[in-house]
Formats: sequence, C-alpha cells, structure tokens
Amino acid sequence: MTAGLVRPDAGDVRVGGVSLFARHDAVTAQLGAVLEGSRNLYWRLTVRENLEYWGAMRRLSMRGARRRADELLELVGLTDRARNTVQTLSRGMQQKVALCQALMHRPHVLLLDEPTLGLDLESGEGIKRVVRQLAQEGTAVLLTTHQLDVAQELSDRVAMIRKGRLVLEGATADVLARYSQPVLTVMAARPWPADVAVRLAGLPAVVTGADTLSVDLADDRGSTLYEVLERLNPHPLLKIERHQADLAQVFQEVMGEGLRDAAATPAAALSAVPVREGGMAP
Amino acid sequence: MMGLFIAEWRRMVVEAVRYPLDTVSGMVTLFMLFVGLFFGARYITQSPVGGGRLDTVVLGYAVWMLMMAATSDMGWQIQNEAQNGTLEQVMLVPWSSRLVFLVRGMMAIVAFLVPCAVIIAGLLAITHAHFVWTPLALVPMGLVLATAWGLGLLVASLGLLIKRVGQMMQIIQFLLLFVIIAPIAVLAGLGWHLVAMLVPLTAQVTLLRDLLNGVAVTRWVWLEAVVNFAVTMIAGLVLFGGADRLARRRGILGHY
Repeated sequence: MTAGLVRPDAGDVRVGGVSLFARHDAVTAQLGAVLEGSRNLYWRLTVRENLEYWGAMRRLSMRGARRRADELLELVGLTDRARNTVQTLSRGMQQKVALCQALMHRPHVLLLDEPTLGLDLESGEGIKRVVRQLAQEGTAVLLTTHQLDVAQELSDRVAMIRKGRLVLEGATADVLARYSQPVLTVMAARPWPADVAVRLAGLPAVVTGADTLSVDLADDRGSTLYEVLERLNPHPLLKIERHQADLAQVFQEVMGEGLRDAAATPAAALSAVPVREGGMAP
Repeated sequence: MMGLFIAEWRRMVVEAVRYPLDTVSGMVTLFMLFVGLFFGARYITQSPVGGGRLDTVVLGYAVWMLMMAATSDMGWQIQNEAQNGTLEQVMLVPWSSRLVFLVRGMMAIVAFLVPCAVIIAGLLAITHAHFVWTPLALVPMGLVLATAWGLGLLVASLGLLIKRVGQMMQIIQFLLLFVIIAPIAVLAGLGWHLVAMLVPLTAQVTLLRDLLNGVAVTRWVWLEAVVNFAVTMIAGLVLFGGADRLARRRGILGHY
C-alpha cells in the first residue's frame, strides 16, 4: 500500500507532503522498493541489463543508468557478476541486485519487504550493511519483516501492525526500555550454597535456579545490589545483567494484550515495521 | 519517453536473441501450422485452396500472425510477469501503466516484423504465391496493427484482473481467424456496417485484402476501418485504466 500497489479504502500515503494517489508518477519517482522473494528482476537478463532496464524505466538516461549501475554493483560487491544472467546467481546475490534496481534512481524513500529472509549469513549481513549506509546518507528506509532480530538491529523507529491496525509505534530504544523490567539476574560460577535463601532474607531477591537468582529493583534506592552481593560474598559469581527486552518479547507482550483485548478474535499475525528516518521531507 | 521505448526494445531483443530456440521454435510452429492447414485442406478438398487466390490466403495468414503478436503478447506478458513477479515492479515505475503496456505492445509488433517476414518468405516459397504491394496498403496495414494494439490492451486489462489468460488467448486466436475470413465489412445494410465498426479488425482486414487484390474499396469500408480502430483503441485505453484501478483497489496486482 505504501508503494501504491494496493489502494486503501481510506487514508493517504504522502511523501514529502505529496499524495501518492493524487500524483502517482511524481511520488513513485521518489520511491524504490524491493518486494519479498525473487520478484524484482528479469531472470533471463544479465545483472547489468536488468539495472540499465530499470534505470531507464525510472527516467534515467542510458548513459546515466550505466554509470549508476557501476556504482551500485561496486557498493554491493557484484561488479564481477555484471555479465551473469540473474538466474545463475545465488539467492543472496539476486537480493543484492534487487536492492540495486530499487536504488537506480536514488530514491528518497526505500521500501524493503523481508530483505534478508532466506539469505545466508554473509548475504544477510551484506544487505544490512548497505541498508545502514543508505540510512546514514539520508535515505528513509521503511522495512517490513517478521525477523524481529533484524528489525531490532536496523531500526531507529519501530511499529507493529495487527489486523491492519497500528498497535505499537515509537523509537526502538524507547519501546525496548518500556518493555524491559527493573530486574537483575545474578549468575553464580557454581551452585548456590544450601542457606542462600536464608542469607537473602529481607531483601527483594529470589532464587530462580541452582545457580541463578533475580533481584527486583522496583523500589531500589541504589543500594539493593550491593546488599545482595554482600550477603552472597564470598560465593564466586559469573555474571550480573539487567533485564533488557528484545523485540521478540515486545511482540509476545503486544500479542498477549491483543488476545486479552479481543477474546473472540483469533490470533492475528503481527509484522514489525522498523523505520529508519532519513532524508524524507516532513 | 524515448528511454522507455529503448528500454523495452532492448529487453525484447535481448530475450529473443539470448534464447534463439524459443524464437525459432515459435517461427517454425507458425510455419508448420500454415503448411498443415494449406496442404491438409488441398488434400481433403482435392481443389486449390482459396479459390486459387493463394496471395490472399498467405496475406490473411500473415495478418493473423501480426494480430496474434500484438494481442497475445500483452496477455502472455502480464501472465508471465505476474508468475515471475516482475509485474508489481513494472507498476511501480513513474510512468502510467497504460503507457508502459502501449509501448510494450508496439515493441512486440516491431520485434515480430523480422520473424514474420521470414515466415512469409517461406510461405511464398512453398505456395509459389506473390504479392503485388501497393503503397496505399500501408494505411490499412497500419490500421490493422494499431487496432490489434488496442485489442492487446483489452486482453491486458483482463490479464491484470484474472492473470491466467492462456485459455482466453486460445479463443482469441480463433476469433481473429474468423475476423480474417468473414466478409462482414462488405455486407450491405446499416446493421452490418455497425457490426463491422464494432467487431475489432473486421473492416481493416477487408480493406487491406481488397486493396492488395485490386478490388474497388467503398467509402463505407474505409469509414468502418477508421471507426473500428478508434473504438477498439479507446475501449482498450479506458478498460486498461479501469482494470489497473480495480486491481489496485482489490489488492490483486501481485496475485497469480
């Protein structure tokens, strides 16, 4: 819908204040999109032929398209594959070429749908590196994915949509902080002594495993951890870490809230929409 | 705009040249189909095909091939692109989809001219027929191709909505064959004139055939040919625009 391939029943998509549905050609000239799967390229054409074709289709001159194709192939490290037909490339390479075709006309807004799905580690990292670079250079990147680790890693802002409704939206760091709990986990190097619970009596600490315990900092005035450590001394410790929610946990929380909100509604799919803000005009 | 033409031209030529077996097998199929029809009909009827007017038979077949290239190419392209997934990217370029598919239709015809000429040369060689070409025939020939182009847009409109147009293309092949054979445009009476104006290509084919055969062409046939072209092209443009909007509203552009 943000690309204009689906027309909404109501509402609008605006880029730089201009309506996509009122001025389709002007706005799509500002958009680049990599759609999910291998749906972006002509498999019988070579990498270079594809890029030159899509460049010309986006109003670049043939010379300009050729020059831009060279730049982009260098960016994604596929210069030596320029003469190969797309069907002979690996899935990861095809995805990089698909990204290049979306960037041929230097769009202000880049739409990425599951850009790293099904890719090997190296290809996935390559795509993420390019996305980060584009965002740093001022391209607004709207990435939709069900891979929440990718969303968390790449996004400045994140949104979750359930059944077509926005159920969560905010700066990624703020969202993660909101769903993190004021709890410390203390991990010992070997199992706790038998009297550990007695030693911790009166403190907001609970033994959660043979070698782990959690400390509730909800009412902490700054000294709770030190008091706990003093009582555990001299038992060897391995690690102390504060609870930090990840997007997968946020997703589960939001899904849980949704199920509680609408008991009669079946579980709905959620998609995380990380947004990296860049050069798009307000 | 020129970039759009060049890009589509290059894509078509590259695909045709890179996979010559596809191109050549398509040409051989069309050639063999004619040979089968021609010699089969002569064997069964034990009489000359086309009442001895072999040039008319070959010409009709040539026009049918060009019409097929213009109409079916649009339908097949949309089906293939929906299947391969490039259709959505095509709909994302900053040109109107109508213009993109018009250019594609035109390039399909231009790209088919050379294979078509080779097939016709082969047909003339085996039938010993020959054409007497008159420059005046360029106008009806242009009208035939331009109308087929509009018809291609109509097929493409359906392709956008239903994607699988294979069966429909089979039916259209036979309808086009009927259009070439049926002399609707020369039938007397206002009703038949209206039919000739509305059924795509009937008048244009008659006009072309009569001009090349040296038959006197009435003003009615000229009028029918021009009106028929205009009606088909406008219907194609309007319906394609409507199909595009409907497909986007229903969210089925990417469906296959």
